[in-house]
Amino acid sequence: MREKRIRKKTLMIGMIMMGLLAALAVLAPLICSCDPLEQDLYNVLKAPGSSGHLLGTDQLGRDILARLLYAGRTDLAVMVLAEIIPFFTGTFLGMVSGYFGGRAEWVITLVTDTFIAFPYYLLVIVVAFATGAGIHGIFITFMLVGWLVYARVARGVTSSLRRSEWVEAAKIMGYSDLRILVTEVFPNVLPQAVVVLMTDMAALLVSIVTLGYLGIGITPPTPDWGMMISEGQSFVTTAWWLSVLPGLMVVYTGIALSLLGDGLADFWRRDSV
Amino acid sequence: MKKRASFILALTLAASLLVGSGKVVLAGENNTFIYATAASATSLDLHREITQNNAFAIDKIFEPLVLFDEDGIVGDWLAESHTISDDGLVYTFVLRDGLKFSDGTDVTAEDVKFSLDRHLEVEGPLPLEADIASIEATDDKTVVITLNQAYTPFFSELANFSNGILPKDFGGKTEEEFFQNPVGTGPFAVDEWDPAGDLTFVRNEYYWRGTPSIEKLVYKVVDDDNQAINQLKTGEVDAVADLSYANAAEIDGNAETAVITGGSWNVEEIFFNTLDEHFSDVHVRRALALAIDREAITQALTFGYGEVANTVLPNAIRYNTTDSVNALNLDLEAAKEELAQSAYPDGFDTTVSIASGNNVRLQEAQILQAAGAQIGINIEIDAKEIAAFREDFKALNFSIMINSATADYPDADSIFAFQVDPEGFSQCYWTSYKSDEAVKLLKEGQVTPDGDERAAVYADLQQVLADDVPYIPLYYPSITVGIRSNVEGLVILPNGSARFENVTFN
Repeated sequence: MREKRIRKKTLMIGMIMMGLLAALAVLAPLICSCDPLEQDLYNVLKAPGSSGHLLGTDQLGRDILARLLYAGRTDLAVMVLAEIIPFFTGTFLGMVSGYFGGRAEWVITLVTDTFIAFPYYLLVIVVAFATGAGIHGIFITFMLVGWLVYARVARGVTSSLRRSEWVEAAKIMGYSDLRILVTEVFPNVLPQAVVVLMTDMAALLVSIVTLGYLGIGITPPTPDWGMMISEGQSFVTTAWWLSVLPGLMVVYTGIALSLLGDGLADFWRRDSV
Repeated sequence: MKKRASFILALTLAASLLVGSGKVVLAGENNTFIYATAASATSLDLHREITQNNAFAIDKIFEPLVLFDEDGIVGDWLAESHTISDDGLVYTFVLRDGLKFSDGTDVTAEDVKFSLDRHLEVEGPLPLEADIASIEATDDKTVVITLNQAYTPFFSELANFSNGILPKDFGGKTEEEFFQNPVGTGPFAVDEWDPAGDLTFVRNEYYWRGTPSIEKLVYKVVDDDNQAINQLKTGEVDAVADLSYANAAEIDGNAETAVITGGSWNVEEIFFNTLDEHFSDVHVRRALALAIDREAITQALTFGYGEVANTVLPNAIRYNTTDSVNALNLDLEAAKEELAQSAYPDGFDTTVSIASGNNVRLQEAQILQAAGAQIGINIEIDAKEIAAFREDFKALNFSIMINSATADYPDADSIFAFQVDPEGFSQCYWTSYKSDEAVKLLKEGQVTPDGDERAAVYADLQQVLADDVPYIPLYYPSITVGIRSNVEGLVILPNGSARFENVTFN
């Protein structure tokens, strides 16, 4: 019983943390009237709490609170958008390969294993250099490799469902394969895929931020946590908050997504038992 | 696992706190001076090198006939005296008495002739631009250099480290052997050298200006700014070269450390590709210059360790007219009017190229971006890895770029030849700028003897450049070196090098 309550708490905390973050990102213009791009070169590196700037100003005199919020908007939006297509294509391909087996499974597994063997960051950097810095590099790379993890999970779940009674029953009733996949298999695959989605989004956020940090991600002036960490690095001994605040935002988001993922997994596991 | 890995990565990113490692050697111990530098010396061949990591090691070992002081004034050094004929063609140098190399052998005029001849033969990245007809050792102590045509910058050019004096025929060694453990007249000689790491010098017991008081000088490679500063604070190093301005105030405010500064031969600039469809129009260039607040940029980026640049000639070099030239200062109304006169009154999209990994350049690019936005010029930032960045601008493949220019020696011509001469290899710092008037003044400056007349020529030239704006000078950065407070006698030179021979510890 007690364990159950803790598990429930995990989900609750994850949802609250994520909800708060989403609210901050969506409501950014209402929370802070500052323009994240407006420079004030005569008032740079002001400490948090200085007049008119709750979290101070950066090396170009821009409001750090505004930049944190707008960077969150950008980074979270990129994170979510970049996951949508891989999530559905990966899950679909995984289901197809698990359901039909045979040649389809062989081809899809081959492709999956080949792509997974390739170092992810190397691919990201190669794409970024080939296409130039910017958000599109992240999208392209993620279109290429993001679906793999969903395909694997969906295939695993589907193969074990393939011979289950209700799938057999559906077949006997003359349902089409597509109908079985959509109405019978997909609802069972979805929880697993969503749990993976949470973990994967955290990893994707870190790669978005890392690319920004390396200067090949989101391009300035659009604020991005990674770029903020990198730009603040020169001032780390005197104005540490420049790097630490966006870093904490990344950590916070990672924790929120993890709790949410764990909480959902437990919730569904309990549900299915 | 994946989750945990991402947390660790995030935490690492967030912290970015780099902690110094390795065993602590107290600086000042055994009369050794430890100087933190960003890169190792890879070669000591004075005729084939140009980059600072090598130049500032070479200039400890070899010295030229004439040399500049901390104010950039060139005077006799190994030469006791010099005369220049009235037609500016014949330079006669007389060596000092009792000059010795670090191995104890005497320095003769033949050594000077050998050294300069080898430089002419090798050519190298810092060649003598003067049209030299002959170099003769007329007796043991006298060297006569004759030019085919007058070239006023020649005297300053000789002060370059690449015109240092080495023993004739490499003292009997092969070239390769010699430059492994070179012998010169400088205050220090090589003790231990790892071309991929630290370089330890030992003092030259025969140094003509008196044996240096420190016994050893170590160039310690510390390639991270924050780490270098930590090591200075803990006393692991005695001084840090090229202290970043962001950290200078902190070092200056600390009781155990201090900052010494000096004027530099460097200028930070925005360059336009004048072959670009937009920037071939002088009105567009002028409009952008009028939209930039150089005062604010200087303030924000140099933290008081730089001065606003109104001309491309660094203010530590003679004939700089930054106080009198009529430059384009921030005036948004004038900027809009100027753009209205151009072929693009409604603005346009363009790109500024910078080298990635340089935070100061990234800040400058963002300031330029904001300035352009105010008059309808939409500027995208293109940050490329430095090798690709250089390749691109040398292929004239850019619209705007931000970079800096450094004079090799303290003569105005060192900057102007590089930035004004369309025939030169640098194609006016790759701007392809062509102005008959500027070229005429450049050539005049090269043959006019030093004095008021030459000053007038360069004043005119600086005004032409300020009006045509092939480049926008931003600021003159100071040289900042962080030192331990117990260090005395360190001399900072305007090329960024330092003299250690008078250093003492308190």
